[in-house]
Amino acid sequence: MRRRPGIAGLKSAAAARDQYRLVGENVARIRADVMKEQLETFRTQLEDFARKHKNDIRKNPTFRSQFHEMCAKVGVDPLASNKGFWAELLGIGDFYYELGVQIVDICLSTRSHNGGLINLQELCSLLCQRRKVAREAVTEDDCLRAISKLKVLGSGFEVISVGKKKLVRSVPTELNKDHNEILEVAQAQGYVTIEELEKRLSWSSGRAIDALETLLKEGLAMIDDGHRDGKRRYWFPCVASIFSAPGSDGFRSL
Amino acid sequence: MQRLGNFKLPQFFNFPPFFTLQPVKETREKQVQVWKQLLLDYCRSQKIFVIGLEEDFPLFSNPVIENFEKYFNEKLCDGLLGSLSHEAREVFLSALISEGHAEWMDKDHRKCLMLWFRLQEWADYILNFVKDNGLQDGVMTIEEMRSGTETHGTADTLHATFSIIQELAGIDRGLLLRVLRLLEQKGKATIFKGTSADDDGVKFSV
Repeated sequence: MRRRPGIAGLKSAAAARDQYRLVGENVARIRADVMKEQLETFRTQLEDFARKHKNDIRKNPTFRSQFHEMCAKVGVDPLASNKGFWAELLGIGDFYYELGVQIVDICLSTRSHNGGLINLQELCSLLCQRRKVAREAVTEDDCLRAISKLKVLGSGFEVISVGKKKLVRSVPTELNKDHNEILEVAQAQGYVTIEELEKRLSWSSGRAIDALETLLKEGLAMIDDGHRDGKRRYWFPCVASIFSAPGSDGFRSL
Repeated sequence: MQRLGNFKLPQFFNFPPFFTLQPVKETREKQVQVWKQLLLDYCRSQKIFVIGLEEDFPLFSNPVIENFEKYFNEKLCDGLLGSLSHEAREVFLSALISEGHAEWMDKDHRKCLMLWFRLQEWADYILNFVKDNGLQDGVMTIEEMRSGTETHGTADTLHATFSIIQELAGIDRGLLLRVLRLLEQKGKATIFKGTSADDDGVKFSV
């Protein structure tokens, strides 16, 4: 635009700028409205779905985990806040917070015998026993979700995989690769010997003794010397099946 | 769940390492704690007042662990498998003794008197028994108290009385005498000799 001299020229330039701005604002508003509308539709659809299947989500663990999967795909985390409409609608936040509290409780009460490492299966069965009244089935998937929420607290709750089993760690002890391998070998019988580690993992006895001593000190292992061959057995309550038998209540009273 | 007669054994009893003294302090403390509880609970339920450290005692070994081992390894196992060493027995009982829940009966620590109620607690029990039954200023023989068949009292108190009698029934004679002497020192009872040991009696003055 050729700039014309004089006050009239300045005025018309300003008027043109205003026009452009208005048009721009309009376009932006229309776009935002469309977006809002779409979001609103999406939200109502999701809400409708959730409302329709509320009972299924609450009662049916498989359905619940599928619902979570779907939410994850569209980038919604029903557990992100306890104040959102999810919580009001489903009480789903409360469900997992409740689970979380119970999980912490179980981990603490069994810590004295397992040193803060518990088999996920055992945790789950203890959880089910405790929730008998609630009559809502709890799966390992639910446990994992609740535990992942506990991480926020920075209390060191973590799920580690050892071989085929999943263990829940509730103490800040860092387990290194050697310790994990020992736990994996121990899964078979609930215990290991130094000889067994030397043979199975081709370790030197020093390496085996060192790792086992650490696990002993952390309270994750217990020794058993009652054998004629003089071979000390290192037992691991967290993987020994004796403690994960259903209906086990041996340590509840402690 | 494994049982010993009518006694329900705790889970840890089938876990072999609980029969070996643990070297790590925290683990050992937990181990001692569960054993103390088991020993007291078992003795109370079976009315076992004296444990001989060198004798067979059902809690000192667990045949289940040994059988399990035999089943898988098909060879005879050491006698110590699933059973407590002498040292371990002494450690657990000493822990009870330090709390007043047991006493060595000899210098060599071969016999141990179990006190699931401490001496003072037994004394309180007997005083309650006397009060509930209106036996103040009454006379009973030692044997009468031990027989547990005494059923004075009104219907209201009968139930409470019954449980106290149950606790007293079969009490170790030496223990009962010591508890009564404790009461005597406090001026709540007077013990007097009968013509025979069976006739020894006690008069309560609560």
